Amino acid sequence: MKGAGRLAWPYLAGLALLVALPALLAAGISLTEFSALQPPVFVGVANFARMLDDELFWTSLGNSAVYVAVSVPLRVAAAAGCALLLARRTRPAGALRPLVYLPTAIPEPALALLWLWVLNPLYGPLAGALRALGLGSFDALTDPWSARIALAVLAAFQIGEGFVVALAARRVIPTSLYEAAAVDGARPGQVLRRVTLPLMAPALLLLGGRDVVLGFQTSFVPALLVTEGGPRYATTYLPVYAYRQAFSYFRLGYGAALSVVMFALSAGAVYVLYRLGRRWRYG
Amino acid sequence: MSRRGALRALALALVALVFSLPPALLVVGSLRQPGLPPPDGFDLVPVPPRFSNYESVFALVPLGRMLLNSVIVVVLAVPLTVLIASLAGFAIAAGRPRLRRLLIGASVLALLVPAGALWVPRFVLFRYSGMQDSLGALVAPALMATSPFYVLLFALTYARLPATLLDAARVEGLGPWRTWWRIAWPLSRPTAFAVALLAFAVHWSNFIDPLLYLTSSERATAPLGLRALATLEPANHGIFLAGAVIVTLPAVIAFLIASRTLFARATEV
Repeated sequence: MKGAGRLAWPYLAGLALLVALPALLAAGISLTEFSALQPPVFVGVANFARMLDDELFWTSLGNSAVYVAVSVPLRVAAAAGCALLLARRTRPAGALRPLVYLPTAIPEPALALLWLWVLNPLYGPLAGALRALGLGSFDALTDPWSARIALAVLAAFQIGEGFVVALAARRVIPTSLYEAAAVDGARPGQVLRRVTLPLMAPALLLLGGRDVVLGFQTSFVPALLVTEGGPRYATTYLPVYAYRQAFSYFRLGYGAALSVVMFALSAGAVYVLYRLGRRWRYG
Repeated sequence: MSRRGALRALALALVALVFSLPPALLVVGSLRQPGLPPPDGFDLVPVPPRFSNYESVFALVPLGRMLLNSVIVVVLAVPLTVLIASLAGFAIAAGRPRLRRLLIGASVLALLVPAGALWVPRFVLFRYSGMQDSLGALVAPALMATSPFYVLLFALTYARLPATLLDAARVEGLGPWRTWWRIAWPLSRPTAFAVALLAFAVHWSNFIDPLLYLTSSERATAPLGLRALATLEPANHGIFLAGAVIVTLPAVIAFLIASRTLFARATEV
């Protein structure tokens, strides 16, 4: 229809103002020394040079890498597993579908408060249960590695969106393929390996890639409220570090440089994914 | 029951247990008596339940004012989101291929931008446009339909409208605005309803935007109140979890109503 584009102007203006302009601005600010109280001063690539010697930057980068390495496979596997289990048109499956999504609907800070209680070594039900079973004390959040793993594992409770996507991907597989497999006498395990998983692979790949980008977000609130970036900076992820630099110390220039790094890492993840997806399609 | 059937039933029970754990623990914990010494063993269920935690939390943080601020944000942001998403979705469905590619491409690109990378520049933008520390900064994302995903959802709905309807509108001499208003919009009620509920949940739960862009406590929204509660002694978990339940409830109710549309779409392909 002629002139339909005009209807999208408000949306395009919103994208320009809230995504495109900030993205360009981030690149600009990253080249300055900017404290929000004084006007920015151009310093070239000094912020990026400083990153190279900033031990805490490398720590936060490593922490984010561990978070992604643990949480992304776990979240994709959980979403796919639940989708396969609940794809049938049976009553129990239908009733459980919204339940899988339910923890995702809990606001992040509310869930963080829940973990503060559940993981507390004195008052928490987890520690209480272990004590009652005679398994000794439990304190996940004082050891750097167990805190890192704990936050990444807890992210697997909020998989609602991935679950819906995996469910849709499972549902578009034609039933004739399963009938053919049954005629050939394929066992359930073979059907899963040879039919279901290969056909769901592109959707799962997409989910994984989006999850890498999303990881910069999902790791932030629990790290801020539950572990406060600790113990010993073990859960100071890249966005937590950028937040501290920009909003606690008002080093907006350095914070913007860290944002540019997040952009670059996300773009890299998306590119790798795109290449993998193409290879899948063509051969 | 066959062995396979038993395994499946076991797996279903496990899924039910795992995903009901967070909401169930949230409610159970919110009814526990505050200020007690650490329990000796495992006593999860509070006997008798402490409903007064739900009053105490209002004394600790100005939750009433915060809930009101959240309501103001939602009342402004949700209709704006639905309007902008619906218009842009119709532009995708009714537009020429070039326009369609541009809009879908821009939407997908925006979905792939890591939100954390936009915090600093958006803060600078809000600060120099006088929107810092105003609820307007929290409503602003509604200008881009809150999430490009909602635009695509509307586009899918409008793409299913019979082409003859649009042709008839053209013959009648209706322009794109009036075609949207008279034909497309009235036929997209279920999608509008689902998008409104999802956008409500997103804006209601929004924690990071108020954390970054608000400074004065009288403008704080309810999720920020939860941050203040996080600093309470662990012995008072009953009270801070009561606050968490109060903030969670509207978001979960909105989701449960939306889930009927959401799962009908995803599963009845």
